[in-house]
Order: sequence, then structure tokens, then C-alpha cells
Amino acid sequence: MDAADRDRLLAQIRGVVGERYAFADAYEMRLYQYDASPETALPDIVVIPGTAKEVAQVVKLCAQSGVPITARSGASSLAGGTVPVEGGVVITFARMDRILEIDVDNLRAVVQPGVVNLALSQALKPQGYYYVPDPSSQGACTIGGNVATNAGGPHTLLYGVTVNHVTGLEVALANGELVQVGGRITAEAIGYDLTGVLVGSEGTMGVVTRIWVKIQPLPPVQKTLMAVYPDVATASNAVSAIVRTGILPAAIEMMDKLSIQAIEAASHAGYPLDAGAVLLLEVDGTPEVAEDLGERMARVCRENGASEVRVARNEAERQALWKGRKGAFSAMGRLSPDFYVMDGVVPRTRLPETLAKIDAISERTGFKICNVFHAGDGNLHPLVLFDAFKPGQYEAVLRIGDEILKLCADAGGSVTGEHGIGLEKRENIRYVFSDDDLEVMDRVRRVFDPQRRMNPGKVFPGKGLEPSEVPMPPGYPRRQPHAAVAAGEDVWV
Amino acid sequence: MGVKARAQALPGHEIGVDEQRGLSVDGLLPSTVMRPEDAEDAARGLRLCDLTPAAVVVWGGGTQMRLGAPPRRYDVAFSTERMTRLLEYEPADLTCRVEAGMRLHDLQATLREQGQRLPLDPPHPEQATVGGMVAANTNGPSRGRYGTVRDWVIGIAVAYTSGKVARAGGKVVKNVAGYDLMKLHIGALGTLGVVAEVNFKVQVRPEMEATLLAHFEAPAPALEVGLKLAHQYLAPATAIVQDGAGGRWDLAVKLEGYAREVQAAKDQAVRFVRDAGGAVGDAEPSPGFWDVARDWSTPADDEVVLRAIVPLAASPLLMAAVPPDARVLAQPASGVVDIRAPAPAATATLSHLRAAAGAEGQVVVVAAPVALKEGLNIWGPPPPGFPIMRALKQALDPNGILNPGRFVGGI
Repeated sequence: MDAADRDRLLAQIRGVVGERYAFADAYEMRLYQYDASPETALPDIVVIPGTAKEVAQVVKLCAQSGVPITARSGASSLAGGTVPVEGGVVITFARMDRILEIDVDNLRAVVQPGVVNLALSQALKPQGYYYVPDPSSQGACTIGGNVATNAGGPHTLLYGVTVNHVTGLEVALANGELVQVGGRITAEAIGYDLTGVLVGSEGTMGVVTRIWVKIQPLPPVQKTLMAVYPDVATASNAVSAIVRTGILPAAIEMMDKLSIQAIEAASHAGYPLDAGAVLLLEVDGTPEVAEDLGERMARVCRENGASEVRVARNEAERQALWKGRKGAFSAMGRLSPDFYVMDGVVPRTRLPETLAKIDAISERTGFKICNVFHAGDGNLHPLVLFDAFKPGQYEAVLRIGDEILKLCADAGGSVTGEHGIGLEKRENIRYVFSDDDLEVMDRVRRVFDPQRRMNPGKVFPGKGLEPSEVPMPPGYPRRQPHAAVAAGEDVWV
Repeated sequence: MGVKARAQALPGHEIGVDEQRGLSVDGLLPSTVMRPEDAEDAARGLRLCDLTPAAVVVWGGGTQMRLGAPPRRYDVAFSTERMTRLLEYEPADLTCRVEAGMRLHDLQATLREQGQRLPLDPPHPEQATVGGMVAANTNGPSRGRYGTVRDWVIGIAVAYTSGKVARAGGKVVKNVAGYDLMKLHIGALGTLGVVAEVNFKVQVRPEMEATLLAHFEAPAPALEVGLKLAHQYLAPATAIVQDGAGGRWDLAVKLEGYAREVQAAKDQAVRFVRDAGGAVGDAEPSPGFWDVARDWSTPADDEVVLRAIVPLAASPLLMAAVPPDARVLAQPASGVVDIRAPAPAATATLSHLRAAAGAEGQVVVVAAPVALKEGLNIWGPPPPGFPIMRALKQALDPNGILNPGRFVGGI
């Protein structure tokens, strides 16, 4: 954007949000050029709107000027989802961080996008309820961001991911129109399920300004166990054995040897340093069954090669076990100046072979790779350790990441389980979707955003799509499409 | 060449008079029938229909063909009856991939052999197909606890009128790669593409199930107990409130889970019933009790079926607006109230209920005699966001050949 255009737009935006809440000076722009991924790009203007109406007006001004928009709040994206690669306007939700309504009677809450995930559950706790999706970054990430990425978390194994807990959205569309889709009722609203399509669209369809979420009663008892294994293969097989018994754990997390060492150095969670792998298991239940389920799960763990099973005896011990897991990524600083986190998924039964292949990649390349992940649903988070100041290392790590995602895709899995495609994996998406698949997605995107101005450069491959040709059957001349639906009439004459 | 001649020339099978009658939709008859053998074949067939152009009505098991406004036009019955294969099932992964024409009952039987199930209970599973369940978003009384179709579909393959098959989602339970186009097709009534394959996540069957029957003098306390149960950590798998014999109101609760918690939850439910002034029935439910409840929304010839969905706490208000000559099955854990009302008064009943459902609720005509359909606003006023819906239709079915006129706002 050239300076004159930028200043003109900035003045217009300031007319909407006030002088204080829109800025463009170089120093400030640097604060908004990055998220939790390694990529950076400078925005031209940053706006901190205070209301949905202001958001819509800002979006409209951008539409009039043809300027890209990237929405951002916690900026904890690990996939570069909030990096404004094409510059333009960054809308940040620092001021739209209110819980608008807690509606226990209808098991709903209504929040602004800037509400921190954990803050909602904390607000609900006194009444005995919580908001289920709990990404490990839940102390920093926001529900708006969770909606954009369809975020998961350890406890989504039993309860589902963000989309299963969102029933309605208010959205500023690319043209600046503010619409509500879905709402307080169950997610069977009349018409196409636009709420379901918008969740996980990574900001490419509009800017979400209000969110209706389900809340549910807190589990009366949560039984948390740590099981110690000689290696990840034995631990993976134990996971399958637990699933086979019919016990439905709320979470099954795995950490390998290297991660355990990092976590222990950082947070003293009590994981044994000589373990090859640790499983963190949690089962939710009523008092009548939680104890019994905990014991059953402990037995299965032991029968399947655990050298030790430790059950948290109280909430403090439970929190200590979880603290280690949730702080795992930040603990990596103990081992390495930089790390690159992946987010592949494989069918649970393919975990052992996938982990072995990742191990082989580590052997071959000489880069250490830690594994901290949601074992119950096969969502891997390999962390490749490196030093960005050593020439060539970052590029090498990207190649390793690419290789790992390819092997996840080849195992029948996916290139992202919860972080999103973002900027990072927009080429990797081709491992799971053909150009025909992506072309349909792009058509849907253009319905919402014909100019592809909403969070541009994300989700879709950088290189153009080349959908396959469909041969024309003999005797059928090519026809121009009619605006059949818009006219509401038959196309046949 | 006229539309009919072209449609008849499409590859498919000759259609007999009886068959044609069997494939009628709201009084309209197709000129021909297409029975693709797989997803690619379906896409090729749709391409031919698109070029002709011939209006397509998609058929699965046919249990939900009453849903929607009468089609504007109907040339080709597009049946998934040959697409019945189980493509993949890995019990240890709790996932499967099936073709759209598979009967839900058959899928459940396969899952049952492994002690697993898909916890969805739409009506008539022995006839309903997986694809039809997805396209019509048919759910049953267990939606309060287990959610709806959208919560269990993890991947989809759709045949489009462009002649291509495009996929979304995948085979793993946690996956955010690309747009979640599964959601777009669930409940779209086949107006955007023909659902050809569906990937599900499934679950292990519960250790135990138990049913509690209770009776009340009025609907309000029965609903109140149902709602209170929905607020428990171990919410019932199903809780329904119905108008029973002799003016009383019946509450039926199905509890599922580990044996000990089911027993405890049942004891608690009994306390709730008594506290609310209800009587706990001593009889066990008849063997087909829950199947009857599941299939309840199937109308008699002179009835309309209306489905109201309101915020949970608003169902007593909605119930109060149901006319006395209508019959009701309410699901307090999901805010869904199904109503079977005499056809002659349908228009008045519908507008009365829409007023009671308020701005945050909705009422849809699920089934009605065709003669009445024209006069009823089947879907109600177009929802906010309707221009986007119309644009989606235009983007994915530009010639408007798929189920024309059946969906919201004439889509």
C-alpha cells in the first residue's frame, strides 16, 4: 500500500474507531507482524475496534479501498494464520474481550471474539459449568481465534472440537455487512449450516464479531493418571488397548523421552526422567464410576507394559501433571533455542509406525525431534529442535516438516489436526486434497469473499489450482450457466 | 429435443409405471431414473443432467421425501440404491467410510458386531440411507446427548453437476485441513451436490442402558424434569415428553453409560420425578418403545408434522402454544418439539407456533399433504444470511438442476 492510500484509509478508519485505536507507525506495525509461527509480515494499519458495528464499518472501508484484512486476537497461531502476508489492515480484538451473556438455563454463553478461552471456563466455574475445548494455549488464545481454526485440545477426544460447541456466529462479511448465522438453538438452524462452514475457515470468509457457544456441567470427578513406558511403541499399543476396553477417556496425551526431559527441567511435573514415554490419561465421571474407571485404566496400562502408574490423589497433583503437558511447548526452550512444531494426524492404529518413521527422519537428518501429542485421536505434534542462527537450519527443518506431513497424509491422516493450514501448510494441503477438491472450496470462499481479500495467502496453495477437465459427452453443446436461483424461476424454456 | 426426450435418453434404466409412481414427489413423476454405481458414476450422471438440462431429485431410502417445498420441476429420479458398499472400517480407529446408499440399519449391524455404533437415531433406519440422513440432516431423540449428524461426519465425497467428485474432511477424527464442506451438505437436501460417500466417527456401545417411565398431570413439570436432567453431568441419552393416555403426560428417559453411573443416574431421575409431583411407572417399557418414539414423526395421511426448535428453557412456552387436538413429542434436552397436527388447521397452527417460537426459535413443516404445501410457508421466512445461501447454490449448481425449489427461500 502506498503511503498516501494508507494515510487516507487510516483517517477514514480513525473516523470510525477514534484516533487512539487505529495506527500505522512503523514501530507499532512491528508488534503486529508475527504470531507464534516463524513467519512475519508487516501490516499497513492496525485497528482495535470496540464494537461489532465498528468492525463492520472498518471492513466496509477496506472493501471500498480493496485492502486485505487479517483478523487477530491472541496471535497464538502456530501456522502463521494471523500473519498479514499481503499487508493491509489488521483488526485485533483486544477491546472486544467481554463475555456478553452466561445463559445457564439454555446451556449457552455469548462472547466477543477477544475473550480468552480459559477466562470463559473460569467465569462459568462458580456455577458448575465450563466451555469444553481447551487448547494447550488456553490461557492466551481467544475464542475468536478458536473459531477461526476450529481449535481442539486434549479433552476434545471425548467431547469434540470447537465446531461441536458453537451454535451461532455474528460475522462482518467481506462487504461490511453484519449478519448473524445460527444462534442460541441447537445447530439445526434453517438453511445451509453457515455456522459450521465458517468455523475453521481461518478468517478467509469474514470477521467473526460474536459467538454463541454451548456450555456443559463440569465433570463431578476427574481421575488423572500418569503411566510410564519404556518406549513410544509400547505406549501407543497401550492406547489402542484402552480404547478396545470400551473405556472412553476424556484425554490421552503422550510425551516421549526428550519432551519429558524438557518438561521436567521447566516445570517439575513429576514425570520420571528415565522413561521412554509417558501417557497422561484422564477419565471424567460421576463419583460412582470415576474411581473404578481409574483403576480399570491403570490395570490396562500395567498389563500393556507400563512400568509404573501414578494416580493423582488430589486436584493439586492433577494440576501438576497437566501443567507439564500444557507447558510442553514452552519447555522446549530448555533443550534448544528454536523449535518447529508440526500438527499432523494419523489414524490411531498407525501411531507406532508413524512415530518410528519420524524417529528415522531424526536419525537421518541429525535434528532432534520431540513428540508431545494427543495420542487418543492420533494428533501428533512433532517438535523439531534447531537453531535459527545457524545457516541453513531453518530451511532444513521446513523440509523435515514437509516430509512428516507427507507421511501422515500417506498413512490416511491429515496435515493439520487443530492448528490450521494458515500460511505454513498451504502447499502441504495438496497432500490431502486434489485441485478439484480445492477448487470447490475456493468457489465457496469466493461466495463469501469474491476478491479474496479476507486473510489472503492462507489455506489455499500459493500456486494456482488446475482442476481436471471433464470430457464433454457427445452431442451436448456447452451452455452458459443461467442465474437460475437468483431469478427463482425455471431455467428451462 | 425436449427435456423429456433428453431425460429419457439419459443412461439409466427404463422406468415402469409402478416404479414411476413409487418415485413420485409431491405429486410429480420423473421421466427417468438414474442409478449410478459409485461416486464417479454419479458425477458423470449429474453432468449429463446438467447439460440436458434435466431436474434431478435425489433418492436414498425415501423416508424424508416429504420434507421441503414441492419441486419446481422433476425429470430424473437419481437413486443411490446401487451405492451400498462399506468402503472402510477400522474398529480400532473408531472410523468408517461408506457409500451413501447404504441403509443405516446395515451400517449399525456391522458396527454392532464390533461392539460399536453411530449414536444417531433418525426414523426408519431399516429403510433410511446414510446419504439421505446426511442430506436431510435427520436426527432422532438422542440428539440432546449425542448431537446431530454434523457431530459425527468427519469426511465426505460429493458428486457435483460439474461432473466432478470433490472431497472434504478425511478419515481421522481430528482434522482442520481445508474448509469443512461436510457442514455445507448436511441438511442441504441435495441442493448443492449429491452426497456419494460419508466418513463417520463411531463410538463404543455403552456398557449399560436403562429406561425410566414417569407420568405427570401436566406437561410443564415433565419438561422441567427433562431439562433438569439435561443439566446433569451424565445427561440422559434420550428424554422425551409425550401426551399420553387419559390426559396425562408421559416422560421417558433413557440412560446410558457405565453400569454403576446408570444406576445412580436412574435413582436421581426418580427423585427428580417425585420432587416434581410425577409418578414413576413400575412397568418396563415395551420392547419396541424407543423405536416407536424414534419413528414418531411419520404422519398419518391427514396430518402435518411440524418441528419446532427453541432455546432449551423455552420449550414449556412453545408447548403451551400447541393446539389441544395436536399430538406432541418434546425433547427437552435439545429444545426440539415435534408436533403432529390435523391437516385442516395447519396454517393457523403453524403461524401460532412460529409466534410462540419467537425470534430465537424456528418451526419447519417436516411433512404435509401436497395439497396443503402451496399454502404453507414450509421453511418459514428466509434466515439471515440467506443471500449467501443463494450465492452458494449459484456457485455449486449454477443451472439449478438439483432438487429445484425444495429448499429454503425457493433454492
